[in-house]
Amino acid sequence: MFKLLKNKYLWIALLIFFISMFVINLTSESRDDITILEKVIRDTYTPLQIGVNEFRDNWGGMGTIFANTKNLQNQIVELEEKNRELRFQNQSLREFKSEAKRLQKILNFKDHNIEKYDLQSAKVIARSPNNWYRNITIDQGASSGIVKGMPVMNQDGLIGRVRSVSQNSAQVALITDREMAVGVTIQQNRDTNGILEGLGDNNDLRMINIPYYSTIKPNDIVISSGLSQTYPPGIDIGVVSTVTQEPNGLLLSATIKPVVNFDRLEEVLVITDYRPTVFEDDFEGDEVEE
Amino acid sequence: MRYLVLILLPFLSIFLQSTLFGFYPIKGALPDLILIFVVFLALLNKPRNAFFYGFLCGLLEDLYIGSFIGINALAKGATAYLISRLGRNVFKDNILIGIITVMFGTIINGVFLVLLSLISYNVFHLDINILPNMLYQSIYNILLATPIYAWYYHSTKDGVLRPYGGR
Repeated sequence: MFKLLKNKYLWIALLIFFISMFVINLTSESRDDITILEKVIRDTYTPLQIGVNEFRDNWGGMGTIFANTKNLQNQIVELEEKNRELRFQNQSLREFKSEAKRLQKILNFKDHNIEKYDLQSAKVIARSPNNWYRNITIDQGASSGIVKGMPVMNQDGLIGRVRSVSQNSAQVALITDREMAVGVTIQQNRDTNGILEGLGDNNDLRMINIPYYSTIKPNDIVISSGLSQTYPPGIDIGVVSTVTQEPNGLLLSATIKPVVNFDRLEEVLVITDYRPTVFEDDFEGDEVEE
Repeated sequence: MRYLVLILLPFLSIFLQSTLFGFYPIKGALPDLILIFVVFLALLNKPRNAFFYGFLCGLLEDLYIGSFIGINALAKGATAYLISRLGRNVFKDNILIGIITVMFGTIINGVFLVLLSLISYNVFHLDINILPNMLYQSIYNILLATPIYAWYYHSTKDGVLRPYGGR
């Protein structure tokens, strides 16, 4: 026993273990900023990753040269058809928009539409090198005004939130990450609020804390509610695929299929000027409504 | 030269993991190139050296990821130490040994990560889906490790990774 205590390697191992555990706990909670060492490591990788990404983009372009012209023509016809449909939809929505704006003005409501936010576009240059986290690295960082906590989306819907920033790149945690939670609601009737969690191992999401009397059903559209104070309200998230009852019988949970294809993220938009609404503002709005 | 290659390997691994393999997961699982190199070094070197190499490689990965810094360092260091201890009397001139060691290494590393998460109360790591994920990762690792072991073994014998003075 005493011989074991005299072994200096045992003490070194113990020391390394305890120092590491201390650092793990120190860096486990969400820190305000990452250390200079981490920033240097990431900024070393950024230009390399941008290079690989550009190469991949060009390679994709090469493919179309050799693609069958007939396929391309079919694709053009399909897209033109889609474009016509969308233009028609757009026409009616524009009318609704001006009407909604007018009514909002009369009722003194706050405009939460996503088009009023400043969006900074960025390219996805890398993904998480590890199984435990779901995140992407984008090619815009502190130098272009990105700050930790900014919401990130693309034209389809919500993607996630900026987790940490270095000089020329930023790490975005996807909403499919285990650590992420988003306050959500159902677009059609807004009577069901819930919390959306990432599962971490595939691209599906889980909506929890839904009351048992909710009318939620498959194919309902789920959007951000703005209650989590981190994401602006009204951003598309996904479609309900299944609804199940929790074992205690008081709550429901639902599986959500996200509208964003997380496997094929290429360009994202960072919302740079979202300030969460203070709760008092909401109460004022309610009073006016009455 | 040997040290330069040993330092470059984990750097290159993170680069490949984030740009190449990150975009092509198998059933949501990514391979762990760093672990593969750590396991090979452990198989062909002394336990103490293996521990420090594993620890430093894991630390680099942690610093790149930026949360729970130290968890991969400890897990990879401990995995390397164990592999090196257990593999002392194994005949290494067989590609099958490389493959089996990588499989065991992936599982041991996973177990250490779970244990460390438990100790440091990062319970979010723990999920029933960890097991299939670990399985897919070990399959992915084996696929990659097979050609790498052939190169690694030969360059340790008489290539760039040969220790000075020979073995």
